[in-house]
Amino acid sequence: MQRKTYKTSETVDFIVVGSGAAGGIMARELSRAGHSVVVMEQGPRMAPEDFEHDELKYRNLSGITNNPATNPQTFRSDASKKAEQTAGRNPLTYARIVGGSSAHFNANFWRLHEIDFIEGSRWGPIEGASLVDWPITYAELEPYYTKVEWEVGVSGLAGASPFDPWRSKPYPMPPLPVKSSGVLFERGARKLGLHPFPAPMAINSVFYKNRPPCAQCGLCGGFGCEVMAKSSSVWTVIPEAEATGRCEVRSESYVFRIGMNKAGRATGVHYFDKKKVEHFQNARAVVVCANGSETPKLLLNSATNGFEHGLANSSGAVGRHLMFNKGGGAMARFEHPLNEYKGANVTRVMHDFYDSDPKRGFYGGGGFDARSGGPLTWGQSVPKGTPTWGQGFKDYLASYTYWMNCSGHGTSLPQETNRVDIDPELKDAWGIPAMRVTYKDHPDDVKHAKWQVERAVEIMDAAGAAQIVPGEVGEASGGVHLLGTCRMGNDARTSVIDKYHRTHDVKNLFLCDGSSMVTSGRGQPTQTIEALAFRAADYINRFARANEI
Amino acid sequence: MEHSTPSRRTFLAAVGNLTSAGWLALNWPQIAAAAEHAGHHAAHHSGHAAMGGDTPPTTLHTLTPAEAADVEAIAGQIVPGGATPGAREAGVLFFIDNALGSFFAAQLPAFRKGLAEFQQAYAARFGADKPFATAPDAQQVAWLKEVDKSAFFNAVRRLTVLGLIALPKYGGNRNNLGWNLIGVEDNHAWAPPFGYYDQDYPGFEPYPGTKITTA
Repeated sequence: MQRKTYKTSETVDFIVVGSGAAGGIMARELSRAGHSVVVMEQGPRMAPEDFEHDELKYRNLSGITNNPATNPQTFRSDASKKAEQTAGRNPLTYARIVGGSSAHFNANFWRLHEIDFIEGSRWGPIEGASLVDWPITYAELEPYYTKVEWEVGVSGLAGASPFDPWRSKPYPMPPLPVKSSGVLFERGARKLGLHPFPAPMAINSVFYKNRPPCAQCGLCGGFGCEVMAKSSSVWTVIPEAEATGRCEVRSESYVFRIGMNKAGRATGVHYFDKKKVEHFQNARAVVVCANGSETPKLLLNSATNGFEHGLANSSGAVGRHLMFNKGGGAMARFEHPLNEYKGANVTRVMHDFYDSDPKRGFYGGGGFDARSGGPLTWGQSVPKGTPTWGQGFKDYLASYTYWMNCSGHGTSLPQETNRVDIDPELKDAWGIPAMRVTYKDHPDDVKHAKWQVERAVEIMDAAGAAQIVPGEVGEASGGVHLLGTCRMGNDARTSVIDKYHRTHDVKNLFLCDGSSMVTSGRGQPTQTIEALAFRAADYINRFARANEI
Repeated sequence: MEHSTPSRRTFLAAVGNLTSAGWLALNWPQIAAAAEHAGHHAAHHSGHAAMGGDTPPTTLHTLTPAEAADVEAIAGQIVPGGATPGAREAGVLFFIDNALGSFFAAQLPAFRKGLAEFQQAYAARFGADKPFATAPDAQQVAWLKEVDKSAFFNAVRRLTVLGLIALPKYGGNRNNLGWNLIGVEDNHAWAPPFGYYDQDYPGFEPYPGTKITTA
């Protein structure tokens, strides 16, 4: 297929900054509606055969993620401290390739529940937090969740969980085959009267939409899927966008500033090409889907006359309310080999403790799953009491296939003080001011994570584990779920975008990614990000038709 | 190397160039079967990794012979040989040497300083003419117990584990000895049953009051 290209001097209808979970969908929906679209992606475009099963490279050497050597960040736990670089890694991690983090995700696709959208009014103010209702409800997003499942491709078993929100359609594909960790997790949880169910995953379980089923290679999280069974934007919506003949995906193009005119409208984007040569692409409107860290960074680095504190930041909320997904779990060893290095990462999930419960004495809720970890990461640490070297350590290494994780994934409360902003000194390899991260867990987040550790231990005990290693709950020092930093809301004084993802301050500037989320959900944000993208694109197309951009 | 690069290439090219679902449906069983033999770990086509791409390094480029001898001895105590091969047999030294000369080069000065201090402290106790590497096993173990909280020891430990389990192209995990140790088989694709506990799973039983719907 001949891929469409545009000249920078041409004024395209839309620039989409970022090609990940949201950007890919946005590109497809806008181009299918007849618009000319250029997608700007910082990272390179990788073909299936470029993805390697190389845990060292992908998990330790920033193989496809933002590299601290070229894209550095600083971190501090509160604003009274000087933010410093963390040795060898960035606090906020995302994939920096075409497909964005959807290319390397584990593919856990949980819908939010109805409660997620109304927790502000359900629980009232929580000290130190800004827990508010979303400006939309589950009912408004439900058709788009369904769209994600059918258009992008999600496998699962509808109706299996008694705690699932209502849905208008079943999953298009049956769930993936269960692994030993899933069987044991299910055994333990059922014994306790809980309700584990087959995990909904954005991974093909059968041939679907021209892509093969999962080869069960065992390397999802952190890796690209070379058989294209994982429903990553790079294998799904991006080629569909390009097939319209109206969408160009411009890889290795790093947008560092949004152009503005005197009328307060976005005019396009300034970016560096592969050779670090600066360009400006003209556009009628800009949609930023760069993720919960890069989106606020771009807005803050785009400060200009009339927008001295950053673009679309009259509320001061750009970069604030940064959330991850705090959680706690346990590792467990069983009598026989599980071989968790084989098969998709997660096969069983449980949502019994999804809702917050005042009886626990703190805010927080979440889900649990059974999952595996790559051997290289696993081997770096040992349970308390296990020798760190010598024959005892060797014996421990030899037990790798007997272990599994029971992981809790939960809430992080939005706090105004947790934020992404611009470091006053540090610059990246392009000379662009780098992001500074300020983050401290809310006390309730920590309490909930510790509570989850106890539940995970109980489940593994009920499953008959020979040894259980409770996870340690430490202070957050970063994350991969980058949420809340340009929250949506009806009030322009307290939020960055409206319920249609239009910035309150700039009429032709839209934002859609993890930054749009008002609350953190319970651990698996990507399906929500994609549903939001489908919904936002729907409205943006309507506004375009009505000449209201 | 037993698993040849072309077979992985062929496999991936086949998947990457698919033209229709029909084609894939027809060919997938063969593709999957081929993948079983293709080997996802050992075979590599792109050599981002290390000094010289896919071929594992078998000579030292970074550490001096004296440094290498002590590092190998320490690694050999962290994961000893014996009934089954350990770090030494898996070529962890070549991984460490390769890593410190390329992707972990930034750590080399601190590593070298730590190693020099390790050697000086050892020499102060046992004499400069008898390096750690030549000491009897029991003496090595006893000495390491005294220094195993140091940053240097932990660096060697981390590198040893990485070298044992990372792809053989980086220099360690020679002949998949590291994977053999941890029980990981080198295949590109798998099918259930994966482990002991899922082989007789009876299927998901719905909960009372729920209604399963399928497409």
